[in-house]
Amino acid sequence: MTAKPDLAVALSEVPERRAAPAGFDGRLVTRVHFGNEFCDRLIPSPARLQKALDWAQSHGLTVSLATPGVTEDGLAQLCKLFPLLPEKSEVIVNDWGTARLLCADFPTLEPVAGRQLCKMIKDPRLPSRSWRAVSPPGMRAGAFQAVLDRLGIRRLEADVPPLAAPEDFAPLGKRLSVHAAIGYATKGRVCKIGALARPRAEKFTAGLACRRECLTFAAAMDRRAATADEPPTFQRGNTVFYHHTPAMTEALHQATQRGWVDRIIIPGDWHGHHRAD
Amino acid sequence: MDITAPISALAEIAPTAAGGADEIYCGCIPERWRSRFAAGALSRRMMGNLTSLEDLGQAVEIAHDHGKRLSLTLNQQQYDSAQMALILELAEQFAALGGDALIIADPGLLAAIDALGLGLRLHVSSVAGVRNSQAAKFHQDLGAHRIVFPRYLTLDEMAAVTAAVPELEFEAFVLNDGCLFDEAVCHTLHLPAKMGGAICMDSYALHYDRDDGAALSPEDAERLADNEKAYRRWAWHKFSCGFSTTEDGLPYGPCGLCALSGLARAGVTIAKIAGRESPTGRKLKSLEMTVGVRDRLAEPATARRFAQALRRRPDYCAERYMCSYPDALLADDLEITA
Repeated sequence: MTAKPDLAVALSEVPERRAAPAGFDGRLVTRVHFGNEFCDRLIPSPARLQKALDWAQSHGLTVSLATPGVTEDGLAQLCKLFPLLPEKSEVIVNDWGTARLLCADFPTLEPVAGRQLCKMIKDPRLPSRSWRAVSPPGMRAGAFQAVLDRLGIRRLEADVPPLAAPEDFAPLGKRLSVHAAIGYATKGRVCKIGALARPRAEKFTAGLACRRECLTFAAAMDRRAATADEPPTFQRGNTVFYHHTPAMTEALHQATQRGWVDRIIIPGDWHGHHRAD
Repeated sequence: MDITAPISALAEIAPTAAGGADEIYCGCIPERWRSRFAAGALSRRMMGNLTSLEDLGQAVEIAHDHGKRLSLTLNQQQYDSAQMALILELAEQFAALGGDALIIADPGLLAAIDALGLGLRLHVSSVAGVRNSQAAKFHQDLGAHRIVFPRYLTLDEMAAVTAAVPELEFEAFVLNDGCLFDEAVCHTLHLPAKMGGAICMDSYALHYDRDDGAALSPEDAERLADNEKAYRRWAWHKFSCGFSTTEDGLPYGPCGLCALSGLARAGVTIAKIAGRESPTGRKLKSLEMTVGVRDRLAEPATARRFAQALRRRPDYCAERYMCSYPDALLADDLEITA
């Protein structure tokens, strides 16, 4: 563990100029998490991944490939991407099937357990921390760690949950990456905005051929029962996200100061309510 | 096609068995768990559970007396070490009581229970979100005998998995309980109604913006509003059409009955009726509908027509928002019959 974590930025497109948002803890980004964790419709083509790899290399950045939960078709798409990655490249997996595939067929790549595998309560509506006791995080459970070991997973990713405390990130026997600024609360396979152009009878179905409307629109979410300190919530594509409150940012900062967080991932062009320029 | 049906009380087991279920599943939150983890959820449903090991033992006995198998749900997304230790004890107790299968979502728990060698069958819950053959094999590696498919898979997507891992059993939803999001990656709670309830039912108003910073055009605004209206209609169907039933008590809501023959062709051999928390009448009517379709599967077209005529609401079937497997309708361009 290091007192100052590495910085990565999550991108789904190759930017026109160097994406190195300086100023986060005084350090520059050294890594790009390229791809998308939330939808198989956004898995990059081999050509786009190669372009990202070339761009990253020209800027001295390392690439981790971010991957979503997938059906059989999605797995087939990923199988075309993995051979493009340099040896020891990280693949962030959010599907146990992808993890198994990497372990069996692409052993030179490094699987990372994405935040969809490292489950915890992240309901932005909770009024107090005690509600999270309904289902405490399982990342520290020995049996879960044994599963990760079996797959050769040495790094985990986590969100900062609403009402977080620094202790939420205490050492767990693996390297820990944490997503800054924005977390996700829930996602679906059905995508509301992805149904925008579909005939009424075909909307909201599995495997919908969308027009990637999530690259154009996002929606702020307001609810009647919201409390004053509830994290602002928004939906992009099939996923509901929340912005970190100052208290959550402070919890992550304190955990970082204690050397518990190995890498911080900054949201890039897809995750925010407005795309970064 | 076997049918697995839920119970939440001992008195429901006999009528469920007599009604044609091949398997029965339940949750159980014994006193020992409640005293240690007051608010802790042992399974995905906070309500509708048996409350003691004695009841669980009786449940096994009654089910077996009727020639039915009994499964116990332990399907929270994740558990910490303290919870997992107690669950392993519960699994041993369930095996000693003669129980048949455990329904599990947490892969660590699955592996730990398999290591105990209890002789129980291990079913991977829909909450595990298995959507591809490698994920099925991963859980098989950890000891699974069966995969329960999550919602929102097409029949073709299921068929691709079942064909790749034929040694596993596969189960799929046919009725009830319409999560709008994906149980495997929904990290929210079903809050009390005054706090908003389930997040997919909360009173959120959405305000769309364009990423390029431009204002929404009138055309965009109209399309988005129409889409929102359609989504609310779809959600209403998924929430059992306002949690209603026909006059004779047949439940509305997520339904895959007319796709039952398609599910069978896709390699699914167990039809799951959801709704542990439902009233007894709703559970039994759901079973009655499913058995009625299952018993006609020798003639798929007859079974499909029977399924679509059950509730006498061809308009709901035609709208397709209540349909769990609309691809079955779209692919065959089926005529909806009353």
